Amino acid sequence: MAMKSAYITVVGNLPIRFDLEQARKIGPVIASANNNKSIVFDYATCNTETNLQDMLNSVSFRESKLLVPEELFKKYVFFDGVTCLPDFPGLKSYDIDPAKCSPQTLAVMLAVYLRQTIVFLLGYDISNPIELTRLKSIMIANPNTKFMYICNPPGTYQLDDLENGFCDTYIKFQELIDRAK
Amino acid sequence: MPSKSVVYTYSVKLMWPAMCRNRSVEVLTERPDLVDQMNKFRVKIDNVLRIVCRKHFQIDATYHMGGVRLWFESGQDCYDFIIRQPEFEWEVHPELSVINSVTSQLQTFKIVYTPTGVSID
Repeated sequence: MAMKSAYITVVGNLPIRFDLEQARKIGPVIASANNNKSIVFDYATCNTETNLQDMLNSVSFRESKLLVPEELFKKYVFFDGVTCLPDFPGLKSYDIDPAKCSPQTLAVMLAVYLRQTIVFLLGYDISNPIELTRLKSIMIANPNTKFMYICNPPGTYQLDDLENGFCDTYIKFQELIDRAK
Repeated sequence: MPSKSVVYTYSVKLMWPAMCRNRSVEVLTERPDLVDQMNKFRVKIDNVLRIVCRKHFQIDATYHMGGVRLWFESGQDCYDFIIRQPEFEWEVHPELSVINSVTSQLQTFKIVYTPTGVSID
């Protein structure tokens, strides 16, 4: 059995210029719906039927576990790659509806659920205040998990008020991958 | 290179023929005719599954009073098996169990038969 990795990468809604195969070398990578199709992802979250249908027909998601809310899962239960999203703890307290929130929020919740100790956020959109608030809520609820927000310079200060939130560059991320390999 | 292990994700229960259902082990020891019918039924299931399934399947060896539990690796095989019931004149218990690969929990859903196929509730 493969040893469980301490790292997990979440690819958000935004386009990125980074070889995600590199990120796969240190742990699983979660895609947010069909926003990125550059590699074969380990997991992908999705909550709309249109996206799911596209993903079922994409090579990038052929080997992926596609996690969808229960209502959508029931409709696509006989598709081998489609899996029901777990009941994330504290979902009600975050006021998050899995059927309506963004796929990137679901991806972060999945990353935390999988109990990895460091979550890398690539292409994660925090320009929307709702997205930022939800990300912060998840970070506060999981103090033992470190969240590394990866972006191009200049970095963001939006996560600085949290002890487990950090911001770093793609260059630093690549260096970390090279060290961890 | 090690071969990929088979994971049986989908499961349904196929009801025994009417006269064999809900028989206790005690009754079955006194009725070899029923046991013989049940054994033939299992052989028939195995033959049909070999025709229907493109991927791996398994017939659960554990005895259940209601029917035989079947496991499928592929959802498409499971669907084909369910919708081809009339062809083989047997009855699938309208409940589908699916193992969640992330949580490892067995989730159970109701099978609803519609004029165009089946849906899950």
